[in-house]
Amino acid sequence: MAPHSPATDQIDTLLWVGFVAAAILVVAINVALIYAIRRYRGERGAAPRQVSGGRRLQFRVAAALTVFAAVVFVLGIVFTDRAQEAPATGPAGLVSETGEPLEIEATGQQWLWRYNYPNGAFSYYQLVVPVDTMVDLKLVSTDVIHNWNVPDLAGKHEAVPGKVNHVVFRAEEEGSFTGDAATLSGQGYAAMRTEVKVVSPEEYEAFIEQQKTDIETAQERVVGMIENGEVP
Amino acid sequence: MSDSRPELVVDGFPKRRPRWIELATSADHKDTGRILITGALGFLFIALVELLLMRLQLAIPENKFLTPVAFNRMLSLYGGTAIFFFALPLAIGLAYYVAPLQIGARGTALPRLGQIGVALWVLGAAVIYAGFMFTPSEAGANPLSPLSGLAFLSSNGVDAWATGVGMATLGFVLISIDLVTTVRNMRAPGMAWRRTPIFAWGATVGSWLMLVIGPVLLAALTMLMIDRNYDGIFFADGSGGAPLLWQHLSWIFFSGAYMLILIFAFGAIAEIVTAFSGKPLFNRSVVMASMGALAVLGTLAWMQNMLTAPIGIGWMYFAMLMSLALIVPFGLIVFNLIATMIGGVLQMRAPMLFAVGAISLISIGLAAELQQSLVAAAWDIKNTTDSTAATHFALVGGAVFGGFAALHYWFPKMTGRTMGEVLARFSFWTMLVGVLVTFVPMALAGYNEGQVIDAYKFYANAGVSAYNLIATIGAFGLAAGIVMTIVNAIQSRVGGPEAGHDPWGGDTLEWLTLSPPDPHNFDVLPDVRSERPMRDIRDAIANRTASAELPVRESQPVV
Repeated sequence: MAPHSPATDQIDTLLWVGFVAAAILVVAINVALIYAIRRYRGERGAAPRQVSGGRRLQFRVAAALTVFAAVVFVLGIVFTDRAQEAPATGPAGLVSETGEPLEIEATGQQWLWRYNYPNGAFSYYQLVVPVDTMVDLKLVSTDVIHNWNVPDLAGKHEAVPGKVNHVVFRAEEEGSFTGDAATLSGQGYAAMRTEVKVVSPEEYEAFIEQQKTDIETAQERVVGMIENGEVP
Repeated sequence: MSDSRPELVVDGFPKRRPRWIELATSADHKDTGRILITGALGFLFIALVELLLMRLQLAIPENKFLTPVAFNRMLSLYGGTAIFFFALPLAIGLAYYVAPLQIGARGTALPRLGQIGVALWVLGAAVIYAGFMFTPSEAGANPLSPLSGLAFLSSNGVDAWATGVGMATLGFVLISIDLVTTVRNMRAPGMAWRRTPIFAWGATVGSWLMLVIGPVLLAALTMLMIDRNYDGIFFADGSGGAPLLWQHLSWIFFSGAYMLILIFAFGAIAEIVTAFSGKPLFNRSVVMASMGALAVLGTLAWMQNMLTAPIGIGWMYFAMLMSLALIVPFGLIVFNLIATMIGGVLQMRAPMLFAVGAISLISIGLAAELQQSLVAAAWDIKNTTDSTAATHFALVGGAVFGGFAALHYWFPKMTGRTMGEVLARFSFWTMLVGVLVTFVPMALAGYNEGQVIDAYKFYANAGVSAYNLIATIGAFGLAAGIVMTIVNAIQSRVGGPEAGHDPWGGDTLEWLTLSPPDPHNFDVLPDVRSERPMRDIRDAIANRTASAELPVRESQPVV
């Protein structure tokens, strides 16, 4: 993952916290194991001392482990909270009059993502968003559970039928970011990909207009064909 | 050692029927346990074949070796087989065989329950694999609703999966009732709870846990069957149902089962570490309490698997808290195991090797799970191959390495013969290298490149080709190592070196019985005066021999 949004910066930091904590545990346990095996291996004739425990030592170890777990827990909450903070639209972004985030609906369906933009335009596979703008992606599903996953821009979240899940993010630079759906959804699951194209606000509005005109033209053509009897 | 003791007048009653009929109709806990252990090792082999087929498909990008449908079928069967027909029955089978011997019981309290349990388990295995006759499930290792619903998978495969897994689970619940009752009521005189052998204690905690989580899965499977076959709406969105309900119920079971496997493994490992260090378990009461804590906290952490689902941030923090709290009991168990070794006289025989390997792999797996449970971090690495690797480190460590440690340790008790030491060592090192070469690259593919879980293919430009190729090669190494131990077990059953009744100098009462034990287990039972009854017996014999005035034969000079 290469972070390209405020939330993914926090996620990245928390990943490091987790990695360090995990590494401390793994190294401590395995070094102690290897030490014990190398040092006390073999039959030296004398029977070992039958030591069966020390209450004070145990208390200290338990306290150390508790503090360790508590520190990791607090860090987990701190960085998760930061990752959740709504990233306000910046100066370079698409400024709305109400200050509301740009709401886009992402519908998971076997095995394609459909994006519904606020003013009636829609697109499949490719999501186009303006740069430096707070985007509120409403995740819904029409069939099974899907998992929207573009790791460079935001955390992954499930689209569950009958529920609405939210991904809020702000892309910090223009570019194209891809992701694979991350919950098994049937045969076409591995091919269920998506691309987020981050563009300037002007390009975004032009895209929406273009998309709307294209859709209307296509619909008119279909209606015309039906009226002419070309489509039964 | 002689085969039978001199005071024994009757060696056994003549067998009336062929051996397999005796075995299938026996309510003896040892026969029931043997069916479970043998069957589990067989299903380990089958799970390996399924794993290798999937790894072959994932060896190169956009491979066409398996179709997506075939891959999803392998995935569903692998998940069901590895958990319900290998890991759980191996743990429960070993406990069902050994725990009654350890507590000095002449049988179990409710043997017919165990017999019905194992019969249900065998039937369940037949049902899930009968799915091959029509179409196996394609819903994945945990068949999430609504994908597992009739609308999306209309073949009977999901029904076969749910029925097979349900029968096996019901079997485990029945056996657990017997285990809990037996250890509760039939401990030898003087064996207070604090003196209960640590493996028998682990078996009790694990069985209680199964009594809690087993019915939850059975309820969920019943709802799934009603949804699929009788127009139910338990997991349908709208009309009062909820797809997330399946996730909650199934993850309660799977998280609990995960802990159950680790608890049984730690029980066996603790017996082995004490026996091969020549010391008592360090801080025994703390280890016992920690096992209980693993069961409670681990099961309460079920939502750790749902951190990307719409469940509300408070619940996610709760799951994170429970997962991180596991550090304390887990750390205490490992600390006390290592403290037991320190100052001991370690004999690195095969059981001890596997036990140490198990501790090491479980530590890697649980540390990786720690990272997976940090909420925001989970949004990045959940549902990637990093999650797969974390689970496999912990469960291959617990069920395969821990299970093999227990198998090597109690094999002499079950068969009267020791497993071949040379092949065991070869097997151990091959498996250890295999596990690392398989799951480290898999973890890195998920961690660095975000390769998603359960996918039947990946693309060449995703940057994960090398990781996947190495993982496939490693999987073959792991499989080779596991097959070596299975071959070793088959060979040693009749051809292994004779072990005698107490080959390791263990502290617990199962080593007082014959190898293999008589149907009634014990001719005589000692009063238990400490948590190391066999050591007390050996000391008493040694003291008496030392103090007795034995006639000394004068040595005659040879002319």
